[in-house]
Amino acid sequence: MPIVLDGSQGISTPMYAGSITSNPVTPSVNMKNRIINGNMTIDQRNAGASVTPTNDAYTLDRWQVNISDNSKFTIQQSSTAPAGFKNSLLVTSSSAFSLAAGSYFVLDQKIEGFNTADLNFGTANAQTVTLSFWVRSSLTGTFGGVLRNSAENRSYPFTYTISSANTFEYKTVTVAGDTSGTWIGATNGVGLYVGFGLGVGATYSGTAGAWAGATYASATGATSVVSTNGATWYITGVQLEVGSTATSFDYRNYTTELQLCQRYLPAFNSANTFDYVGFGFTTGTTNAQMTFQYYVPPRVAPTGVTNSTASNFLFYYGPASHTVSAFTFVGGGSRMSIMNCTISGGPAGGTSGVLFANSATAQLLFTGCEL
Amino acid sequence: MIYRLYIAGYQQTEPNAAMTIGVTPASSFLFAPENPDYQAFKTNVLAGAELQDADGNVMTQEQANQFVGGLA
Repeated sequence: MPIVLDGSQGISTPMYAGSITSNPVTPSVNMKNRIINGNMTIDQRNAGASVTPTNDAYTLDRWQVNISDNSKFTIQQSSTAPAGFKNSLLVTSSSAFSLAAGSYFVLDQKIEGFNTADLNFGTANAQTVTLSFWVRSSLTGTFGGVLRNSAENRSYPFTYTISSANTFEYKTVTVAGDTSGTWIGATNGVGLYVGFGLGVGATYSGTAGAWAGATYASATGATSVVSTNGATWYITGVQLEVGSTATSFDYRNYTTELQLCQRYLPAFNSANTFDYVGFGFTTGTTNAQMTFQYYVPPRVAPTGVTNSTASNFLFYYGPASHTVSAFTFVGGGSRMSIMNCTISGGPAGGTSGVLFANSATAQLLFTGCEL
Repeated sequence: MIYRLYIAGYQQTEPNAAMTIGVTPASSFLFAPENPDYQAFKTNVLAGAELQDADGNVMTQEQANQFVGGLA
């Protein structure tokens, strides 16, 4: 970056001059990128393991699948990535599925209304936005995706072309904001839906490059990844920003990205073979109610918990520790949740203690906060 | 999948939550319409998954369907 010494202006550094095109990432600029976990670094649920997602399941943080048929592909975090990135999201087709008219296989991210309200979609002042991403596939051809509103009655199908197999390519799609339809404003609901088609039948495919009053999931004629057994499709560096030009990826530090994700998935993933979870007290010799304090306020209060092997957790109160045999979710608030831990031979009710994990794979995922 | 009902929270007298039995990872959840595990619970029970009452007694399919059918 050049430094300019000027007699009237002092010292100045013309921002990004001559550097943007050569560097794929730059430091975060106040949430320029409306996509969370666009560089696929956060995978709180699966820690890089391959999964076969069911409809509406979340995979890597913030990335959900919307599918008409189960078991047609797997998803996992991958270390195969273009320069400047460490990870990507990998989809691998599990069969040569023949699409029916009503078939749909989509990877999507629902962006919260608080983070899209300034786009003014649905008004005459709708902002132009640009979607950019790195993509790679074993297939070549024209692929598709969509931007959509929460009511799913305003859709903008788009296309992009992959020219070379098994090579990361950088794609940009500029979309004039929708001046029609109903788009929610600054709320914690779905402000904007960004989807990438992995195979979509005619019913949910529309003409690319125009807003339509319909529910589309991709563009007409787009390549179907799930229709070729073993086909691969990678994506990373996903960015949605205001303006008609794609700029360098808004690279956030890991802590910030993790916190952004935890608004939608409060979670405990044990950092070591010994890690503390929270505090609580016994309600009798076989039950302890333990708290879990979130790192960031969730979008809405959790309504459940999914736990790894319960015996990876212990209730400790000083004289002894007691292995947990089951968790049940008691209640969630804006700052913490309470779980009941079933133990055996514990101290009398009213005894305070600590919940800790004794396994590096111990995990608690608090559910109900995703969009 | 096997589910067991339980009572969660304070001043509750009727089952308002359920947990999975015998699977890892395990899930427990309130009967909150937006919770994905609750949505799956209703779908699975209506499809024939075993439902136990809070004492662990297995409900008949008719009882289970009636219970789930009365939920929001």
